[in-house]
Amino acid sequence: MTDTLPYIRPKYIGQSIQRLEDSRLLTGRGRYTADRKVPRMAHLAFVRSDQAYARICNIDTEEAKVLTGVIGVFTASDFAHIPDITAPSKMLNYHATFCPVLARDFVRYVGEPVVAILAVNRYVAEDAAALIEVDYDPRDVAVTARAASDPTAPRLHDSLESNTVCSRQFLAGDCATAIDAAAHVVSGQFSMTRKTSVSIEPRAYVAEYESDKDMLTLHSATNIPGIVRDEIGRLLGLRGNKFRVVTADVGGSFGGKGSLYPEEVIVCDLAWRLERSVKYVSDRMEDIIASSQAFGEEVEATLAFDENGHFIALKADILGDIGAYSIYPWTAALEPVQVASFMPGPYRIPHYSATVRGVCTPKPPTGPYRGVGRPMAVLALERLVDKAASTLGLSPTDIRRRNLIKADEFPHRIGSGIIWNRSGFHECLTAAEDAVALTALQAERADRTEKWVGIGFASYAELTGIGSRIAVAPGMPMNTGAETATIRIDATGAISAVFAISSHGQSLETTLAQIVAEELGVLPEDVNVIQGDTSLTPHGTGTYASRSAVIGGGVAVNATRALLVKVKRVAATLFGVKPSDIQTGNGNIFVPNTNYSIDFPEIARVVYSDMSTLPQEARVTLEVQETYDPIFGTTTSATHVAIVEIDPETLYIKLRRLFVAEDCGRLINPLVVDGQVHGGVAQGIGAALLEDLKFDDAGQPITATLADYRVPTSAEVPDLEVVHIEAELPDNPGGFRGMGEGGTIGAPAAIANAVTDALSHLGIEVNALPITPSKLHALIALRQDEIDRSNE
Amino acid sequence: MKPASFEYVRPETLNDAVRALDHDDAKIIAGGQSLVPMMNFRLVQPERLVDINRIEALTPIVQTDSGVRVGALTRHVEAECHPLLKEHFPIISEAMACVAHVAIRNRGTIAGSLCHADPSAEWPLLLIVLNGEIEILGGAGSRMVTPNEFFLAPLMTEIAETELVTGVHFPLPPFSCGMAFEEVSWRAGDFAVVAAAALVSIKRDRFAEVRLALGGVFDTPVRATALEEGLVGQSANLDEIEAVVSLAAKDLEPNDDPHASAGYRLSLVPVLARRVLARALERAAS
Repeated sequence: MTDTLPYIRPKYIGQSIQRLEDSRLLTGRGRYTADRKVPRMAHLAFVRSDQAYARICNIDTEEAKVLTGVIGVFTASDFAHIPDITAPSKMLNYHATFCPVLARDFVRYVGEPVVAILAVNRYVAEDAAALIEVDYDPRDVAVTARAASDPTAPRLHDSLESNTVCSRQFLAGDCATAIDAAAHVVSGQFSMTRKTSVSIEPRAYVAEYESDKDMLTLHSATNIPGIVRDEIGRLLGLRGNKFRVVTADVGGSFGGKGSLYPEEVIVCDLAWRLERSVKYVSDRMEDIIASSQAFGEEVEATLAFDENGHFIALKADILGDIGAYSIYPWTAALEPVQVASFMPGPYRIPHYSATVRGVCTPKPPTGPYRGVGRPMAVLALERLVDKAASTLGLSPTDIRRRNLIKADEFPHRIGSGIIWNRSGFHECLTAAEDAVALTALQAERADRTEKWVGIGFASYAELTGIGSRIAVAPGMPMNTGAETATIRIDATGAISAVFAISSHGQSLETTLAQIVAEELGVLPEDVNVIQGDTSLTPHGTGTYASRSAVIGGGVAVNATRALLVKVKRVAATLFGVKPSDIQTGNGNIFVPNTNYSIDFPEIARVVYSDMSTLPQEARVTLEVQETYDPIFGTTTSATHVAIVEIDPETLYIKLRRLFVAEDCGRLINPLVVDGQVHGGVAQGIGAALLEDLKFDDAGQPITATLADYRVPTSAEVPDLEVVHIEAELPDNPGGFRGMGEGGTIGAPAAIANAVTDALSHLGIEVNALPITPSKLHALIALRQDEIDRSNE
Repeated sequence: MKPASFEYVRPETLNDAVRALDHDDAKIIAGGQSLVPMMNFRLVQPERLVDINRIEALTPIVQTDSGVRVGALTRHVEAECHPLLKEHFPIISEAMACVAHVAIRNRGTIAGSLCHADPSAEWPLLLIVLNGEIEILGGAGSRMVTPNEFFLAPLMTEIAETELVTGVHFPLPPFSCGMAFEEVSWRAGDFAVVAAAALVSIKRDRFAEVRLALGGVFDTPVRATALEEGLVGQSANLDEIEAVVSLAAKDLEPNDDPHASAGYRLSLVPVLARRVLARALERAAS
């Protein structure tokens, strides 16, 4: 043997590769659901409830039916053959609701679809909608979760005993005794209002009927194509040979496109019955008032600690405003129970007790939204942590450092039962502390003449890439923990990788291609990632819950490695060497330091088309299908730091800096990770300072346009600073941790702590988000009243 | 969110426009930045849209004997950048930067904003602080209207359905004068919560003329006359401004809305009054 350097295959994982989807999406060549145009396509519009809770007395559709261009006008009775949408769960004390695809007898939120109109175009459909008169008999209703949780409150569903559709308790240790015995206790009431997703692309569905095959294809702007296929198939009695769901390019979801909607069931049913294609594209107002909403929680919490600032016990009472129906498939428990599950955070807290209630209110159902439950949990806990620090005169970083779980304490089970595996809890805090140059800021913070400056920290941990042992939502009878991938080299030598996940902005076309390319030894642009078509995979759910990089990426690693074994075996036969002598890279298959080398088209030709070179038994199909299930989840952690300045006169709150140190394990593509963090943080900024779905006393939404529902623009988002920590790679095939939601989880609490810090001279705490100048004005006036009264 | 059907006409001349407006429920469309969303929500359902974008007589910005005449179709961005307006009324450029976003400023027009009469919009405030007048054309001929006559209530003006605004006249400001504009809005480009515009002129180190206009605090933009009267004749310095700023909020009773309480709005009035008066004074002195 001669001395040669060991061969190292080119690395693509970890490279900031320009996104492969960019050239398509940035030049207007993406294909979104609304772009679909097919012959005889009919257009759907809805008459939606303008009442929060009312009995439907009469629906007059006569004038609408005879309008030129109207194909059909449909009410609940026209869909009597479709079972109500109901989300089952094995969770104790859970009561499912029944949601007809069109309101039947009652409407339960403003925006609920009541009448469907099919017409030759959307203009005519809306003209017809304007001609329909619905007589309502309004019913008494409790609009807020607090009022609805009262046992004497009017019930939103006559079939249920109360408005409380789910409740659960968490208990670890003896919380009450520990709190009584503790040296110090801090408490507070915390809340976050309802949010909506505001994807650039609103919800859109086109059901295409193919008469030659008697087959239905739903093109849906959804991030859960597999779940939609399975459930609409069940509701309409169609199996996969008759019904397929395809997601082409999807312009964002943030959770809002992550549930089953009545509109997509109706689109499919009408297309199947009328044997013609049906299109529905929601407009912006429909998207705001009738897509799943988020958050809407109140938390009352107490943290007990000793003289040294070590946490002893945490107690929380969580009330969730879940809206009119328990959403499919996640159930009403998804959001509020997640608050309790993640409430103990990344800290050692021996005693924990929490009660959770989810209460029906006459508002759109809550569903998944980037962060699910954790933004609220982190806000409540991190505010308490800062309060504990100020009680003892400790710095915010000192108290966190004393309580964060240390490297040698993993795995660590927190009071809710979640197990953290090793992640850079301390490393993220230290990186954040180092980055913000606290000393220089302290001087500016002390000088309050021009600006009130405040600094806020928030540390958190979350569980990502959740396997089959843990349900994404409690008790949900559905496997969200596995992913299947098929990696194939076809007869031309092209490589395709088929997944059941569905990218709606996560750059999965690029990151999965990077993984397959590195493992197989080809270039990323040579890998055709195929996703979001239920006819190509036996099972799969979609992209949500920070799962696709971990589980989709994990199965990409496993499947590609298995394919590589096949490739090497063929090449070894061809070259007359051992498979272990074979290497691949840059699209070549070769034996180092020899002239044995072929490319992938050549090996494909040899295997599939050449009948003479290889013996028949060696001509194997170069395709592998693997399924991966991580069983449990993997822990992602981060510390966010916010620096705000408040104009003492106008109370305008300016976010000056936001810094994120996060540990998402091995980065597949730093450019993509940064993008995900930036987007998540922007949503966190919205939750902290701007976004608020408001309802009046009668349950009418009063922020139903983008002039009133305010998302942050580039002017409200500072240049974000992100540092990546790889403390220790998790034990999964790729060493990946999920990170798509973290930005939204940490930023709200960090900003609340920063604003509270800026107001420390006034003794005002910010415990309810979003905080606005007008609300600050009221808090300051209230505080002044208290001071005046105590001076009297 | 599709508009109800409507008839569309596009006159080339002012006379044709006036004739086109003489029709049941006709509505003028220029930039369409307020009208089109309202039509899409079906809040307004005009039977006929009269598109005035082709009428050349509505576009020029010209110097006149007494000031500058701005054509009704002038886009916000044109007003923001026009040398004649920048020279005589730099406050217009300052305020236009706060009007929504670039795409909207490229399309929206001065007359459209004035006729929409949102009490927190920038153009109505500028009209008041600059003592501008509105030129209106109808079947009976042309007339000039002062802002006090023009603005009646939120989204309500004195103009008849059969008339159109043809231009706005801004008289030249007094000598030794400075102007300033500032607003508080939730986000860059949002409607102002409160907006303030000031014009002061100085003679022999005293305030000779003071104009302070406020938006977002009343049904229409208003002049703070009590403050103005209190300041005229006083020494031109910051202390004198400070002494009268509380008068800015005199007699104002702003409304609560979902985003800003009346109390918060009111608290902004003296703050913005002081800031715009101080900046106007500094500019007058330099």
